[in-house]
Amino acid sequence: MILSLTDAKLDYPKTTAFQHFSLTVEDGEMVSIIGRSGCGKTSLLYTIAGLLPLSGGTMQRAFGNEGVALMFQQDRLLPWKRIIDNVLLGLSKEKTEEAATFLRSMGLGTVMHHYPHELSGGMRQRVALARALIRKPNILLLDEPLASLDEQQREMLQNDIKKYVRDQGITLLLVTHSIQEAVFMGSRIVMMTNKGVSYELKNQLHDDPNLRTRDEFFSMQKTLRLHLEATR
Amino acid sequence: MKYLRGMGVVLLLWYVAAFLISSPVIPFPHSVFIYTLDQFVPQEMHLHLLYSLYRILLGLFIALFFAIPTGMIAGRVPALDRLISPVLYLLYPLPKIAFLPVFMVLLGIGDLSKIILIAIIIYFPASVTIRDGVKEIPFEFLQLAVAYHLSRKQVLKDIIWPAILPRIFSSLRITLGISLSVLFISETYAASYGLGYSIMNYWVMAQYTGMYAAIMLLSLLGLLLYIIVDWAERLCVHPRANM
Repeated sequence: MILSLTDAKLDYPKTTAFQHFSLTVEDGEMVSIIGRSGCGKTSLLYTIAGLLPLSGGTMQRAFGNEGVALMFQQDRLLPWKRIIDNVLLGLSKEKTEEAATFLRSMGLGTVMHHYPHELSGGMRQRVALARALIRKPNILLLDEPLASLDEQQREMLQNDIKKYVRDQGITLLLVTHSIQEAVFMGSRIVMMTNKGVSYELKNQLHDDPNLRTRDEFFSMQKTLRLHLEATR
Repeated sequence: MKYLRGMGVVLLLWYVAAFLISSPVIPFPHSVFIYTLDQFVPQEMHLHLLYSLYRILLGLFIALFFAIPTGMIAGRVPALDRLISPVLYLLYPLPKIAFLPVFMVLLGIGDLSKIILIAIIIYFPASVTIRDGVKEIPFEFLQLAVAYHLSRKQVLKDIIWPAILPRIFSSLRITLGISLSVLFISETYAASYGLGYSIMNYWVMAQYTGMYAAIMLLSLLGLLLYIIVDWAERLCVHPRANM
């Protein structure tokens, strides 16, 4: 077990983001959390990252704040820093060589001395991914990081994230409103509303390289869609 | 190049005025140039220029030295801002120059009172501009800093400082003009060097060509400072830092 939430609840001054949320994540698992907008997905992720404190329930983490890397919906690259320095944000300069090698391995070698505005949206998110992975986190939290990309870039980055996360043995927790993305990325798909988990699905074909073209890929999406409709 | 065009326009207007009025009160530009070139060293114009430059630079430096932390604290700590901002707003519109006699009594009639006067006048607009710059730093970047465990020092160096640097430069540009006119007034009393002193001296002696030479040097000093500010900004502010 790397993460466990029991009857978790988060209150904002005027509303409740989510409540009665329980989830246990095993080491190396890739969990997709799906739900309608406003169901508290992002708040949940921020709570796990340590950015927001729980208002009720308990959370156990087998990692410290240093063991979490959060990738936001927007790339949040600092416009005044070169790509390599954005990746090294908060890290010591001694890691420069390691970061450069890592960027090259991610196909960003030619742009590492560029500024963020010189890159396309897909490249920028790729840099944000590098910034998260260079920290060698125990758990990677993704807050719909691909929502603003076009389909081609999105699929490419989905493949890459899956590959890097698996290669490095990182646990993945992805929050998304895209059913397709949830099924492709997750070995387990958890559907949430602001009253807790409403449905769960195991993706047996998660490791299948041809997942996108398998019939089950579509049937799982259909099942999830029906359940999502039911939460309305 | 753009400065040369600007000078061309000013010169043209000057010639027209001199021609139309044709009185020694407005001498022709070329006679002022010749006078400046001839008398630059004999009349110690270089010393006047250097004294003025020294006072204005020191005044700017002192103002920023205090305005940067003030703006940062007001921008970052809402509780303190509720105290700082009203104080700034109350004191900002005061005609600081009216307190000149007070400064003279407290700080002496030498350089110090002149420099402090310039510093105080620049301090207020600079503080307010820097405060706004800090407040406008996107929340997303500050959240990023928390999520990526940046230390206080790193937040200051990697996020706040680059975000307010363009504000510091724009506050410099705004206040340069004011500080030059204040410089002039502060140099008209108890000074033996400085362009303000020089202008008044020529005025009293009804030496209009010399007066215009000193006025022209004051204007060129302003231009030079603007060019330096622009150049320094290009050097240290990334063009995309203005979000």
